[in-house]
Amino acid sequence: MQSVVKSPGSQISVGLSPLRKFWQRFIGFLFPLETDTWLAVLRSGLGLQVIVYALFLRSDWYYLFASSGKGLVGREVGEAITAFDSPLIPTFGWLVALGRNLNMSEEAVLTVAWVALLSAGCLLLLGLFCRPAAIVAWFVHLCAAESGGLLAYGADAFMTTALFYLMLSPLPDRYSFDRWVTKAKPKNPQLLGFWRRVLQVHLCFVYFIGGLAKCLGNGWWDGSNLWRSLIRPPFTVVPPDVLVRFKYALPVLGISICLLEVSYPIFIWFKKTRFVWLVCILAMHAAIGLTMGLYLFALIMIIMNLAAFGVPCASRRAQATSGTTEQ
Amino acid sequence: MYSKRIHVAWFGIHFFLLTAVCLAGVFWLIAEGSTILPSAWDEYAGKGELGATWCLAKEAGPSNPVRRGIATYLHAAGIQAGYTFFAPNVPSQHRLTLELLYEDGRAEYESPHVRGKTAALRLESLLDRLSEERYEPVREVLVKMLAFSVWREHPGVKKVRATFGAVNPPGMNEFEQGKTETFQPMFSFDFSLRDDQKQ
Repeated sequence: MQSVVKSPGSQISVGLSPLRKFWQRFIGFLFPLETDTWLAVLRSGLGLQVIVYALFLRSDWYYLFASSGKGLVGREVGEAITAFDSPLIPTFGWLVALGRNLNMSEEAVLTVAWVALLSAGCLLLLGLFCRPAAIVAWFVHLCAAESGGLLAYGADAFMTTALFYLMLSPLPDRYSFDRWVTKAKPKNPQLLGFWRRVLQVHLCFVYFIGGLAKCLGNGWWDGSNLWRSLIRPPFTVVPPDVLVRFKYALPVLGISICLLEVSYPIFIWFKKTRFVWLVCILAMHAAIGLTMGLYLFALIMIIMNLAAFGVPCASRRAQATSGTTEQ
Repeated sequence: MYSKRIHVAWFGIHFFLLTAVCLAGVFWLIAEGSTILPSAWDEYAGKGELGATWCLAKEAGPSNPVRRGIATYLHAAGIQAGYTFFAPNVPSQHRLTLELLYEDGRAEYESPHVRGKTAALRLESLLDRLSEERYEPVREVLVKMLAFSVWREHPGVKKVRATFGAVNPPGMNEFEQGKTETFQPMFSFDFSLRDDQKQ
């Protein structure tokens, strides 16, 4: 129990005490002890995601990112919009200009970029050269997302974010070939905990904002938005005449999605509710992938959720087995 | 401890920027009047959006280094746009129909296309953006590019009339009554190929 002494100095120390406690709790929250299992899930999952992304776009890669007159809309428009935001954002224009100095055609540069992306995905999946592979995957994907800015959709933003976090995380993890080959020491468990927290907090932002914005639309309360999204080409996987049979279920599903998303930042943290919320969110993304054909979007969200909350929190185990060194 | 402080500082800045981006997105939706909130909120939401975009230095000049620095970071981290997908309501689908007019008076109808389903999704995303007011300055250029991508496959075409519009799907009850989607034209452009471009 603290006693209040009427000297100015001690008054300050009594005043600071709750602030310091809060700070310590905050630091404790940001740097929990963690093993690298979640990082292995993120690394291999993103490797798979990058491979699927590259293979899905294989036949249209050049058509989407070629310059004007050769492709769909020409990447110049997207790159000009990006350059208006900042000329420092990487685009394929950079690589094409570099290739020109090496006497490489635009087509050759774009092909090399595609091969580099696919290779980076394979290396990430295997856990070979983890850090360079993560950097290459992030950079080439960012170039693609920015050069085709007008053609990008939600999955691209999430891929960039996930690759950005992976690139900064303490790689390699124990399940990677890198660790097996180099016999490197395990990474600082607090640093592993920090990067997992970043991913967890980010997902809370994603679902809360997404859920809040949906709650503000009347169409999510009466099921009409679900109807519209499911019969909207090119998402039409379930025929409308089949869908209309479930018309009384659509309002319930719409409201459930709103509530599930907006309450995610609360219930995903409680041990008792985490499993239920995680399963529901994963099911929602699997359903989005299967019924709307948004496979890349579904896959990246499932990977991020599994890495953030799917792998059991290892604080106690890590505490028991770690030789933690503060950096 | 030094490393921890750097990490905490980065965490604070990163999530501050993410909060500003997300709030700007939500406030924009409210200010547009597309939510169920009373219209009296629109003005406040507009002010809120201004505040959020100010935090991102978007009110500064285009060449302002702080603005550019923040924009570069946001793009690099993939957090330049908020997470208001399919919200507050699912937008209408958009369609671009190209009427290809041949020299002999023949007409054919085509739409821009790609090979894979994933790329088709991206094309849909582009068409949806064309309807947005903020892309108005590049609208004609983009439609011209899309028309040209089809034109390359039909070298005999003399003129192209591009019609862009919203496709409104029927509601559930309307669908049961046999109603189908309706097309609402928004704008159209006529393009003719110059002789020097034909080669």
